[in-house]
Amino acid sequence: MLYKVMDKNSYQDFIKALISNYEFIGPVRKDKSVNDFVPIKDISELDTNYMKTTIPPAKKLLFYPAEKLVNYEVGKTISVKPVVESKERILFGVNAWDINGMNFLDEFFTTDFIDENYISKRKNLIVIGMDSQPTETNFSPSMGADYAKSGFDMYLTELGDKYFLRIGTARGNEIIQRYAKVRDASAEDFKEYDKYLDDYRMKFKLDVDIKNFYDNFELIYNNEEFWKKVAKDCYSCGSCNLVCPTCFCFNVKDDMELNLKEGNKIREWDSCMIPEYGLVAGGHNFRPNKENRLKQRYRCKLKTFVEKFGRYSCVGCGRCIETCLARINIAEDINSVKKEVSV
Amino acid sequence: MVLKAKEENKNSIYVPDIARISRIEKVSPTEKLFNVAFEDEEKQNNFKFLPGQFIELTVFGLGEAPFCLASNPNNKEFFELCVRNAGNVSGALHRMEEGSRIGIRGPFGRGYFPFEKMRNHNVLLIAGGLGMVPLMSLIKYIMQYREDYKELMIIYGAVNPSSILFRNDIGYWSNRDDISTCVSVDNPDDKWTGEIGVCTKLIPRVNFPPEDTYVVVCGPPVMYKYVIMELEKKNFKPENIYLSLERRMECGVGKCNHCHIGNKLVCVDGPVFSLWEIMNLKEAI
Repeated sequence: MLYKVMDKNSYQDFIKALISNYEFIGPVRKDKSVNDFVPIKDISELDTNYMKTTIPPAKKLLFYPAEKLVNYEVGKTISVKPVVESKERILFGVNAWDINGMNFLDEFFTTDFIDENYISKRKNLIVIGMDSQPTETNFSPSMGADYAKSGFDMYLTELGDKYFLRIGTARGNEIIQRYAKVRDASAEDFKEYDKYLDDYRMKFKLDVDIKNFYDNFELIYNNEEFWKKVAKDCYSCGSCNLVCPTCFCFNVKDDMELNLKEGNKIREWDSCMIPEYGLVAGGHNFRPNKENRLKQRYRCKLKTFVEKFGRYSCVGCGRCIETCLARINIAEDINSVKKEVSV
Repeated sequence: MVLKAKEENKNSIYVPDIARISRIEKVSPTEKLFNVAFEDEEKQNNFKFLPGQFIELTVFGLGEAPFCLASNPNNKEFFELCVRNAGNVSGALHRMEEGSRIGIRGPFGRGYFPFEKMRNHNVLLIAGGLGMVPLMSLIKYIMQYREDYKELMIIYGAVNPSSILFRNDIGYWSNRDDISTCVSVDNPDDKWTGEIGVCTKLIPRVNFPPEDTYVVVCGPPVMYKYVIMELEKKNFKPENIYLSLERRMECGVGKCNHCHIGNKLVCVDGPVFSLWEIMNLKEAI
């Protein structure tokens, strides 16, 4: 990690240089409270002072809702070729928990087998992080995701009339050298940054008691009453999956072109909350009811990857809480598990 | 050109290789046996799998589904798939003719039937319905190296006499004295003279010493709980009991996540697990 400082008056020139030299994707205000990460042509469109984005920006760019994996031609012979697209882009202004969500996906898509479709896009994504203001449903400090240690090329933190820069990659450093005026961070800058981090952490109001969840979950797993109560209002709509920065489940389907000669294998986001998720040919469903499925979602987010990767796959962004039509609240439910088990 | 295509294929875990169905045999009212070989001879020669592993099969234009391999892994000319007409892909496969082309990815699965560990021990195989298919691969392997194993017993439960798979093989085994086969049907017809009822009823008759026996179970999800209860009564050790699990799989490579049970992915960590691995894994059995 390299620590640099950029004066605020050279910030504009830096951004303008990036916009004119790269495909630049940043937060743009969509309505009163929601921003979306879209390609930006002019600095005036950029709004880094955002609170909410519905679709996690990194996931949107690296793991498309629908994506061609394989293209084939069927005739006298069959020819098959992979479809792997990737281009260099800058993702600007993404916050710590969404970077941590992407870091999870990075690890996931390169474990056991390497998913070229994901990782080739990831390698070409220049990530410039920036803190955003947490919503009232955000509990990322409890999940250890309010601060990004890695996964970015550089991370900008606004400190009064300057930006404190953490440069994470050689590529990030090259961009800085080419397009920005910076100086080394002084002891004074570090002290200010320390104060900033303390203040920033205070802005997160929601706390969850996740510490003993790993074992407590085993006890609560068979408590049907508990899960009936938690999943009572679930519509099995899958909205929570769509907005989750770490949800990665997908279906693969074959799709023929109208000429019936060419076809594609396409992956589409799937949702563990919809009934067909656990259905196999012959009609058996491994997770037939909504209690099974919600329990399974919590297990996947809060336990499974603690065992596999040593981290939660929930970053505490709170999007699913805001999106849920039935007001199912993962933060409340984590706390209820604790309450249920503690004497 | 050929070289380039190969290089490209290496880059994506989702690209199938083209294979051809060389022979189709209807083995029951709902199941067909397919002999399949890759079009590329080199690919076919290098295709190695272990008993219990599976492949992902593409019917182009229709979709992909996982199927387990039923042939002896040492058979180099082709591999066998025994498929029930149950879903979109298997239905389309059943409508195909000899010579048709399909796509194959695999073999997949770290978890296979532990044929190495089983050497110099008794082997008890318990199959329910279509669960006989993956076991065939193991049985054929063991029969090839029969002297490496002690007693071999197969318990096979089918719904009715017409749904019994691999009749020729079973007939052949019944004439040998180095393999004992018990077939039981739930719904017998007038001509049935064999065992009647679920296959779990046959387990109490097994008299293999638990410390010297490996057990493999493969069948519909509902079967496992009852089979395990019977095996526990016989004091078979959980680390010596192996089960092949079924789950929905879209990718076979641990990405689509449909088959995950807690921290296990059936496609990557399985599909065969020892009972010890999954006995305390919620939702597995």
